[in-house]
Amino acid sequence: MAAHSMVYLKGMINLKKRSEIIKKFKAEGGQIAAIAPYHYPKALFRAFNILPVELWGPPKLNTLESKSHIQTYICSVVHSILTFHLKGNLSVCDYILIPHTCDSLQGLGSIFLDFIKPEQKAFTLYIPRGRRQVDIDFLSKEIEKIYNELQKATGTTPDKNELNHHIETEEQAVSMVKKLIKNRAYLNTDDYTFYKTIRSKEYLPAEDFIEIAEEFYKTYKIDTPLNKKPVILSGLLPEPMEILNVINEKDGLVAGDDFATTGRRLYPKSEGQNPFVRMAKSIVHSPPDSSRGDSVEARLNHLIHITEKTGAKGVIFFIVKFCEMEYFYLPHLRKGLSEKGIKSIVIDTDINDELSQQTITRIEVFMETLK
Amino acid sequence: MVKAMGIDVGSTTVKVVVIDKNKKILFKHIENTKPRIKEQVKEVIGKVKERFKGEDIPIISTGYGRKLVEEAKKSMTEITCHAKGIYYALNTTGTLIDIGGQDSKVIVVEKYGRVLDFTMNDKCSAGTGRFLENTAARMDIPVEKIGEIALKSEKEVKISSTCTVFAESEIISLLAYGEEIGSILKGLHRGLITRIVGMINSVAFTPPLMLSGGVAKNRAIKEMLEEETGYSIKMPEHPQLIGAYGAAIISLEQNI
Repeated sequence: MAAHSMVYLKGMINLKKRSEIIKKFKAEGGQIAAIAPYHYPKALFRAFNILPVELWGPPKLNTLESKSHIQTYICSVVHSILTFHLKGNLSVCDYILIPHTCDSLQGLGSIFLDFIKPEQKAFTLYIPRGRRQVDIDFLSKEIEKIYNELQKATGTTPDKNELNHHIETEEQAVSMVKKLIKNRAYLNTDDYTFYKTIRSKEYLPAEDFIEIAEEFYKTYKIDTPLNKKPVILSGLLPEPMEILNVINEKDGLVAGDDFATTGRRLYPKSEGQNPFVRMAKSIVHSPPDSSRGDSVEARLNHLIHITEKTGAKGVIFFIVKFCEMEYFYLPHLRKGLSEKGIKSIVIDTDINDELSQQTITRIEVFMETLK
Repeated sequence: MVKAMGIDVGSTTVKVVVIDKNKKILFKHIENTKPRIKEQVKEVIGKVKERFKGEDIPIISTGYGRKLVEEAKKSMTEITCHAKGIYYALNTTGTLIDIGGQDSKVIVVEKYGRVLDFTMNDKCSAGTGRFLENTAARMDIPVEKIGEIALKSEKEVKISSTCTVFAESEIISLLAYGEEIGSILKGLHRGLITRIVGMINSVAFTPPLMLSGGVAKNRAIKEMLEEETGYSIKMPEHPQLIGAYGAAIISLEQNI
């Protein structure tokens, strides 16, 4: 099929702001849960008419407040979440969920429960590191525990059917993300617009996201692939998002990712009648992931798989500074990729910093070296 | 006659090279970078155009100010351009050390001047030309003389600060304790070289070692690098022009 080379269509989909979505949801009688990164049972909250809104920072925040309370060598995502709360910005939320994703987030969970003691109901959620039946059993109990807490807090008792209905809607939303990523080379838009859209799932109700994703697909779909250099991104999140513009300006295209925000949450469809087990199974069977303690081999094979599938020429590890779980894998992953002839580079950033000229140069050099 | 121009807008100097189809340098120019880069570059390019009147010479820009060159048909990073330039200047693959005013780079160069691996020291001015410039200024010595003074010294004082600002304070203390300027300068060069050697060890090093950038003119850098690494270092005829030369070659190769 002939390669497509055209000017990107930008910003044709109207995405509402997070604050507008929250306001509307509350006005219609719903409640809001602030969710720290990154695996959690979204459908469970929706069954209680609670909209989960994910906290990936927010980025580009002055984190002076948190620096007085926690060590500066803790990652900027955790600093931003704490600062955001200390500035009073979480007051719009009725619940706070902090999954035990890493030691820093576990620490943040303890700070919320033991010291801050916020007005909102705060939960922690332990995500097991394994992928065995015992891990599914454990996680389904953890999810059931939160169900019981929410039942007490809201005075409502969603039944099995309601829970299963929301599980299926969330799975449909995940399927839409999978479809968009799979067809990335056939969507004539820049990566900034693409990621802005798929990341709106972090705060939109699933049914709204599905509608937007379908419209997005119809608007940008082309018959021949974009003639760009495909690359894969890995890490927690694409922040600062301007990195995507740098890649596009160098004639590159993000053909797939291994981001915590997206690629690592392309959950498989679940089966069975017990909704807690279904939700647990989905999370336990998520793609290979540093936060799940997966082996280097599993993560490497996954990266090689998505690289080969998309024809990507290289992998950019876009790492949030001080993220130990990401750094640990890097030497092994880079060595394994290199043995397969796949180039890689590590770019470390602070989500609160602007993209520096030096970082831009590093990314540009990498793109220039890809044949 | 086919020609191509490369312009390297660095933090310290602006370099221009015009080459013919055989990659031979027909014209070269270096001047200090001024605060109004856009205007300066326009003026420099104007002068080159005047020299080659009536010829349409395609331009590729590089260096930290590469995006400010409106006349350029394309901009490329200095790493890609240095790799290309050194390969054709010395006619060899190997590992290039480029110590610039703003950052230092170690680039592993493969066939046809392609980048195989690279690393940059860009988060701190220690390990860059600016480190030497600042300390030379603190001692009131012209920067072009510090290498010679350092090499003449028998004694070498260890400078423990890894930060340019702290190193300056340390130098003031050492001078106050009566240390000789030459031994302090030798220690300073050693500090910079040690950082560069650390960078060489972090890439897929391939001999020979090559040197480019403004700091390459400092004899102490070359000699001490050879001493630390055990490899002799190859130097191009115009080390400061390698980035601009590489940009011009890419312009020629890509027929932009």
